[in-house]
Amino acid sequence: MTTGTTGTADQAPLFRTQPQFRAFFDDPRWALAIIRATVLEAAHPQVGAALAENSTFVAHPWRRLRNTFLSMRRMFDPDPAVREREAARLNRLHARMSGSDSRGRAYDAMDRAARAWVVATLFESAVTMCRLSGQPLDQDTMERMYAEYRTFLAALDGDAGELPLDLNDFWRYFDRVVEDELEDTEAARVILFRLFDHLPAPALLDGAPTLWAAGRALVGPLLGAITVASLPEPYRRKAGLPETPGAPTLMQGAYLAAGLTRFLPEGWIDAESVIETLSLPPDSDDPRARTVSALRARVKRASALLRLVTPLSGDTGPDPAPTATAATEGGRRSAEEFFHQVLDQTGDGHLDWPDLAATARELATRLDLDEPEETRLYDAFAAWWRELQAALDTDGDGRVSADEYAAAVPSLAGPALIRVAEVLFDATDKDGSGTINADEYRALFRTAFHRDLTTTDGTYGRSAFVGDFLSFMSGRRRNTAYDPLLTDA
Amino acid sequence: MDGNGRWAQLRSLPRTAGHRAAETTVIDIIEAARAAGVEWLSLYAFSTENWNRPGTEVDYLMRLVRRVVRKHAPLLLARGIRCRFLGAADPRIPRELAQDFDDLATLTADNQGMTLTVAFDHGGRRDIVQAAKSLIRNGTPADEVTERLFADHLPFPDTPDVDLVIRTSGEQRISNFMLWQVAYAEWVFPDVLWPDFRAPDFLACLHTYRRRDRRFGGVPPQTNGDTS
Repeated sequence: MTTGTTGTADQAPLFRTQPQFRAFFDDPRWALAIIRATVLEAAHPQVGAALAENSTFVAHPWRRLRNTFLSMRRMFDPDPAVREREAARLNRLHARMSGSDSRGRAYDAMDRAARAWVVATLFESAVTMCRLSGQPLDQDTMERMYAEYRTFLAALDGDAGELPLDLNDFWRYFDRVVEDELEDTEAARVILFRLFDHLPAPALLDGAPTLWAAGRALVGPLLGAITVASLPEPYRRKAGLPETPGAPTLMQGAYLAAGLTRFLPEGWIDAESVIETLSLPPDSDDPRARTVSALRARVKRASALLRLVTPLSGDTGPDPAPTATAATEGGRRSAEEFFHQVLDQTGDGHLDWPDLAATARELATRLDLDEPEETRLYDAFAAWWRELQAALDTDGDGRVSADEYAAAVPSLAGPALIRVAEVLFDATDKDGSGTINADEYRALFRTAFHRDLTTTDGTYGRSAFVGDFLSFMSGRRRNTAYDPLLTDA
Repeated sequence: MDGNGRWAQLRSLPRTAGHRAAETTVIDIIEAARAAGVEWLSLYAFSTENWNRPGTEVDYLMRLVRRVVRKHAPLLLARGIRCRFLGAADPRIPRELAQDFDDLATLTADNQGMTLTVAFDHGGRRDIVQAAKSLIRNGTPADEVTERLFADHLPFPDTPDVDLVIRTSGEQRISNFMLWQVAYAEWVFPDVLWPDFRAPDFLACLHTYRRRDRRFGGVPPQTNGDTS
C-alpha cells in the first residue's frame, strides 16, 4: 500500500505552486476520488500484488491514512530539503518491497511503469472528480496540473519519462493501460467489496462498536457502489463489476453534494484536523482530548441507547465481543487475539515477513529514522522473523498461521526479540543519552509519560524499556503505550 | 418488592405471573416518587439470597428484568432519571443483562432528576465487607477509620442515609437490605402485595413518614428520601 503513499503524496507540489488548489486538500470530493484512484492503482497487477502482500490498509486503515496524509504534507512542504528527504524515505520504503504475486509473477515497488501509473491514476481521478461534480477543469488548468504531477514523479524517480510529455498523449496512455494492463486483481476487489464492509472503527470511535457497525453497514455498500460507478467503463467490463441500476445517479449525486461544500465558510472542513482527531487514542493528553472525551462520552451514550432500543432477537443472542473481553481479563489477551491485533499487520490471517516489515515501517515512520538507523531496525526485525519462522513454522509453508502461533507462544522471547527491543531503544534515544526523555518518548508513542511507568527523574531507562517491550510482545500484556501504537486501526 | 408470588398464588397463577405484574407497579412507583419530589429512590429487586430460588424462576426473572430495562430505557432517559445498579456483580447474571445494566447506567449517567438505584443481586453485608476490603487494600491505619470514611468505601458512596423503607406484603424484616444506610431509617409495612401497590399507596406511606417524629438518636438530620 506504500504505493498509495507515494500516490497521495504527489498532489502536494501542485498545490504548492497553485495556491487556489490548496482548497483541494480539504475538499470532501477528494475522499471519493482517492478511493477511486486507489482502486485503479490496485487494478494494476504490479501495484495490486505489492498492495496485497505488504499493505496494512485492511487491518489498520486509519493509521495508514494518517501516515499517507503526513507524507503528503511533507511532500508539500515549502522547504525543498524536507521534500527531498521525504522522497528519499519513500524510495527506501519502496525499495524494501518486492516479491511475487499469487500467480508467481514478480513485482517490485520500484518498478518505474507501476509508479508512473500510480501518479497517473491520481491525476486522472482529480480531473474526473471535477468533471463528475459538474465543475470541469479548463484546458490550461489541466495542463498545469499535469505538469505538476510529472514534476512529482520526477522528484521520486529522477525523471518523469514514463508519463507522456503532452497531456493529449496522456489520455491515450491512460486508456491503453486501462484496456491492456489492468486486471481484476485481488487488491482491487478487497478495496471495493471488503474494506468498507469490515472497516474497523478509528481510535476515536473505538468505544462505540455498535454505533460504528450500524453506520458502516449503511455507508460501506454505498461507497462501494459509488466507486464502482465512477470507474472507467472498459475496466468495469473487464473486471465483471456490477452495473447497479441507479448507481451512476447516486455516484454523480455524491460527487455533486461533496462539491457543494465549497459554499461552506472557509476552514469548516479541514482534512488534517479530521484525520488527527480520528486518530486520537482514548487516553491521549492532547489539548483536544477534553473535547474529544466529551464527544466520546456522547458517542458512548448514543451507542448505549442504540443497543437498548434494538429489538431483542430471541432471548439469548450470543454476541462475540464480550467473550473476547472475558478472555482478556487481568490485562492479558489470548494468543489468537494478540496474533490478529498486533502481529498480523496486513490482516491476511498469516504472519509473514510483510507483517513484521509493516511493524518496522510504522516504528521507523514514527521515529522519523534516517539511514543507517532505519536499516538497523529492519535488520533486527528480519532476524526476529527468522527466529520466529524457525520456531513456529511447523508445517514449513514459510509463514506462521494463528494456530501455529498459539501452539508455541511460550517460546517467543528469544534473543532476536531482545535485540529488536535494544535497537528500538537506541533509535528512540535520539541524543544517545542512554535514557529516553519526555520528547523522545512522545515521538514514539505520541503521548506523555504514563503515570504507571517506572520513570525515575522523568526519564525511561534501557532495561525498563526493553522489559516493557518484551512483556508486550511475548507476554501479550496490554500496555497503554504500545497498544495505540500497534493495535489501533 | 414483596408479594409477587403470593399475589399469583391468590389468583391460581404461576409465580412468574406475579413477577410480570410487578412491572406495572415499578413504573407507577417511579413516576409517583418523581412527582412527589423524591430525589433518591431505591428498589430492592433481587437479593444475593434470591439465587436460592428454583432455577427456572431465576431464569425467568433475568429475562423479565432484561425486557423491562430495555423497554423503559428511553422513558427513564426522557424523565431525567439517573439509573444505576447496586450489586449486579455475580457471574450468574447473564452477560446480555449485565450489558444492558451498563448501557442504561451510561445512558442516564448525566441525568439531574431523581436517582434510581436498583438493588439487583444486592446484599447489605457484602457491601460492608467490600468497604472493609477496600479500606484494608488502601492501607488505611485502624485509628483513622471513621464512619464517614467507611461510608466512602461503600458502593455508590454518594448515596445518602435512607429516610424511609417501605416493605410491602406485611413482611417485617430487613432481609440484608442496604444495612449500612438504613441505620436511622423509618420503616413502613403496608399489607398490600407489590403487584397491587400503586401511587396512592405510595403517597400514603410518604404521609405516614411525615408524621413520624425522627430523632436520629442525636445524629443531625439528613435530607432526601429513599424508599423501597
